[in-house]
Amino acid sequence: MTRYDIIIVGGGHNGLVAACYLARAGLKTLVLERRALVGGGAVTEEIIPGFRCSTLAHSAAPFFPQIAKDLDLAKHGVELLTPEARVLALAPDAPSICIYDETARTVSEIEKVSAKDAKSYPEFAGSFSRIGRVLAPLLRMSPPAIDKPALGEVWNLGKLGLSFRGLPKKDAYRLLRWGPMAVADLVSEFFETELLRATIAARGIAGSFAGPWSAGTSTGLLWQAAMDGYAIGPAAFVKGGMGALTQALAKAAVSAGAEIKTEAKVERIEATEEKASNVVLRTGQEITARAIASNADPRTTFLKLVDPVNLDPSFLSKIRNYRAAGSSAKINLALSGLPLFSGLNRIETKAKLSGRIHLGPDIDYLERAFDAAKYGDYSTAPYMDITIPSLSDPSLAPTGAHVMSVYVQYAPYKLKEGDWNSRREEFADKVIDVLAGYAPNLNELIAGRQVITPLDLEETYGLSGGHIHHGEQSLDQFFTFRPVLGCAQYRTPIKGLYLCGAGTHPGGGVTGGPGANAAREIIKDFKASRI
Amino acid sequence: MNKYDVIVIGGGHNGLVNAAYLARAGKKVLVVERRHVLGGAAVTEEVFPGFKFSVCSYVVSLLRPEIIRELELPRHGLEILPLDGTFTPMQNGDYLWRVNDHARTRREIARHSRLDAEAYDEYGKAMIEMAHFVKPIMSMTPPDPTSLNPKGLSDLLFLARRFQKLPDEDKYNQVQLMTMSAVDFLDQWFETDVLKATMSASGIIGTFRGVRSPGTAYVLLHHYMGEIDGAFRSWGLSRGGTGAISNAIADAAREAGVEIRTEAPIARILLKNARAKGVVLANGDEIYADTVSSSVDPRLTFMKMVGEEHLPGDFVDDLKRYKFRGSSGKVNLALDGLPDLKCLPGAGPHLRGAISISPSVEYMERAYDEAKYGRFSRRPYIDIVIPSLTDPSVAPPGKHVMSCFVQYAPYNLKEGSWDEKREEFGDTVIDTIAEHAPNIKDLILHRQVLTPLDLERDFGLSEGNIFQGELTLEQLFFLRPAPGWAQYRTPIRNLYMCGSATHPGGGIMGAPGRNAALQMLKDLR
Repeated sequence: MTRYDIIIVGGGHNGLVAACYLARAGLKTLVLERRALVGGGAVTEEIIPGFRCSTLAHSAAPFFPQIAKDLDLAKHGVELLTPEARVLALAPDAPSICIYDETARTVSEIEKVSAKDAKSYPEFAGSFSRIGRVLAPLLRMSPPAIDKPALGEVWNLGKLGLSFRGLPKKDAYRLLRWGPMAVADLVSEFFETELLRATIAARGIAGSFAGPWSAGTSTGLLWQAAMDGYAIGPAAFVKGGMGALTQALAKAAVSAGAEIKTEAKVERIEATEEKASNVVLRTGQEITARAIASNADPRTTFLKLVDPVNLDPSFLSKIRNYRAAGSSAKINLALSGLPLFSGLNRIETKAKLSGRIHLGPDIDYLERAFDAAKYGDYSTAPYMDITIPSLSDPSLAPTGAHVMSVYVQYAPYKLKEGDWNSRREEFADKVIDVLAGYAPNLNELIAGRQVITPLDLEETYGLSGGHIHHGEQSLDQFFTFRPVLGCAQYRTPIKGLYLCGAGTHPGGGVTGGPGANAAREIIKDFKASRI
Repeated sequence: MNKYDVIVIGGGHNGLVNAAYLARAGKKVLVVERRHVLGGAAVTEEVFPGFKFSVCSYVVSLLRPEIIRELELPRHGLEILPLDGTFTPMQNGDYLWRVNDHARTRREIARHSRLDAEAYDEYGKAMIEMAHFVKPIMSMTPPDPTSLNPKGLSDLLFLARRFQKLPDEDKYNQVQLMTMSAVDFLDQWFETDVLKATMSASGIIGTFRGVRSPGTAYVLLHHYMGEIDGAFRSWGLSRGGTGAISNAIADAAREAGVEIRTEAPIARILLKNARAKGVVLANGDEIYADTVSSSVDPRLTFMKMVGEEHLPGDFVDDLKRYKFRGSSGKVNLALDGLPDLKCLPGAGPHLRGAISISPSVEYMERAYDEAKYGRFSRRPYIDIVIPSLTDPSVAPPGKHVMSCFVQYAPYNLKEGSWDEKREEFGDTVIDTIAEHAPNIKDLILHRQVLTPLDLERDFGLSEGNIFQGELTLEQLFFLRPAPGWAQYRTPIRNLYMCGSATHPGGGIMGAPGRNAALQMLKDLR
């Protein structure tokens, strides 16, 4: 029987990133994936024959370039496609606004709707990228322990403190002031155009159970800016869909010596004398290892996989209180042609549609969408973030046909009436109706659809509560407090058990950050013979 | 000659505290108040003959014990009467009644949930720990985190070390309190909806936020602050109304040599070479002083009394961003008798505490939703107190005064103006109360309805915000009222701020006035 150094439970992108780093450090690594394909939330699947789509996550923009470089992903087949348009914001009765990579081009686009906003934009974008640069090192750092921070941690924090003090005073205060603010307030400090406000604010609420008027949503925006340096996120696709990224990661892991088993559902993580010792598969098979890293979310890890007797009651109650009620759904459409969007002129259509498309015309619209979720219903006028990846990557659909990936918010995990299985189709119909309001010929083009509700996110993709970020990214579940205090350094109360998923710092999004940071801590422990 | 060491603008409780401390340090101080009464929002007025109302602020909760002690307020007539308990009528005909007697409250909560009764003790203990942590921060001048000044750095380190020394459990609670919504926080402790609704209500008072908005948990602490001070119970009424507090402070100030002028509205602050030199009254009188200390809010102080043109552009931008957004109104009723609650009829002791119209979390949240889109709540949260039960001196024999604090009443209405909507708003409040106390309509002899617009016009609170600006994280501590200007100083030399718009903020606390005085005395030395 082989004895592994480390078993990674879950082959999502973070699990695979961790596996790559661990195997490269010479550890005998095994990845166990429940589904038939690895990738977790970053997969490409077929909607109907001939139409392939990034099933859940659809933008690879946040993936850390350093990881791609370290793991030589280009060699393993990753080809990034970056459309010139970042996001096209549509409104039913107002002109559209397109945000481009280039500031000057964006400014001239905004000028069409507001001279004042066009003037504010460079200052806004500049301030965000300056602040983003200061925050960026945080992402790659393991959050320090606040009890007895180690020397290295104090050093790192000190460096961070210095770079904070290196910010212009105005930006330093902005950073302090913005963090706890409602993102609706933040955007209105700069802009007057509702559509522009809503487009920017949406990034602060994406994936969370919060509306633009919820305090602290500005942190979401700042955090995203730290990831890519921009207030308004770019769109980036992987040729072949997000699955191509995780397939490449899997190849990189295998070539570094890791083993990957699919259709291997871990039923339990067992511990002896408070040390994680082995995993038990559904088939009953036991596999032992010196350490185990869970890429599953914290609730699944501690409430389902680990026997509660191994955990301290106060820790358990913290995990039970860890908020992970999802608020989003996904609808993927197979289209026989490119839909016509009203208000877009034919010539510019393709270029403008090539990035992300934002639907959610004003702040109140977004807030009302959230109101519905607060009272346990899905929003009938939801916020949507859409991509048509086949515009940049024709290989995803038959010639002339397209796939459209529609991220929908809000769709609360807990419905007050009925359940998601009985309301799935009705929900999708409503969403498509709203969409058809912007693209009148959409219905005629739909050749097939895939509807993924929060319940599906839980059942099929193993996201507890259907939360795409493995838990709310609110200030109380952030950094040293992610997922809970005392467990934020990828180590858990059970010796030899680690976390490496989005439920740890720096959180959700296809960044690879949690996986890479966790691997670094695990390797440290192996080297120090602490395992 | 007409010359003082310090002129304090505004005779609210903070202005008076500020003046008293300065005078006790030997300064020659003048307080100028616009109205005929002292106290600002802490006033007692006989609005209707025989009925004395604490017109705006109606309970004492956080008045700093060091101020009571140092200014010897009891000797100057301050007497706090305990306000016992909070009574919440529920929609199903039941009620929740929490009182100061711990054992009784426990039994009452156990009637709703045994688990919650257990948790209530634990919760109380945790909150007291947290309040201990926060307490010293109340009386410190906030450091400037961007400056390299060693004092600022050492203050920051002091805070960081204090936090670091907390037991893990408390660190956890502290971060949650600062960042979570009141309901999310309480969800972790309790299951009884009405309990959570009533407790969370304290988190939204005076802010434009709902009980589910992050950042509202922090105010839950305030309820425990009073307890640890040991001076009196967390909530109380002042004999003679809240105006009596202001009068006691004014008395202490006069004894220390402060001169006070009422009915003396200020036109502007006199400047010479970007320094404050005194004030000009509306009647044209000029009064000179070495230092001017303003207890009115920053919008009035800077936009009206100083003038944008004399201020740095960044500071003006920050002032414009400073959020007031009043969200509450007040209805004061003169009653012919006592209301009879459907869920617990009779004139029992339950009427002597606060009566909270906060039957469920969803009720509270829906009240907020309406305000978000620019309407006053059709079914608002109301905090009712009948002070005449505790202090009969405020109403004629057999009659009563009833104070109703109402939220939400957004300053900016989407349709119509507050002058048009005032009576409709009053009716909504009465209708809401009548659902729980049907006889209320027959008892009303007089009513006074204060909208956010009235609070602005009559009491000088910009946009009707009762705290001189929202108490939200981005406007607290070293960010209050503006980044870089949280140390009671202003860009105008010799001009200071000492009102609720400075750290630690609103409520009848007195801390801004005292902290500012200490800072001024340090600077003047």
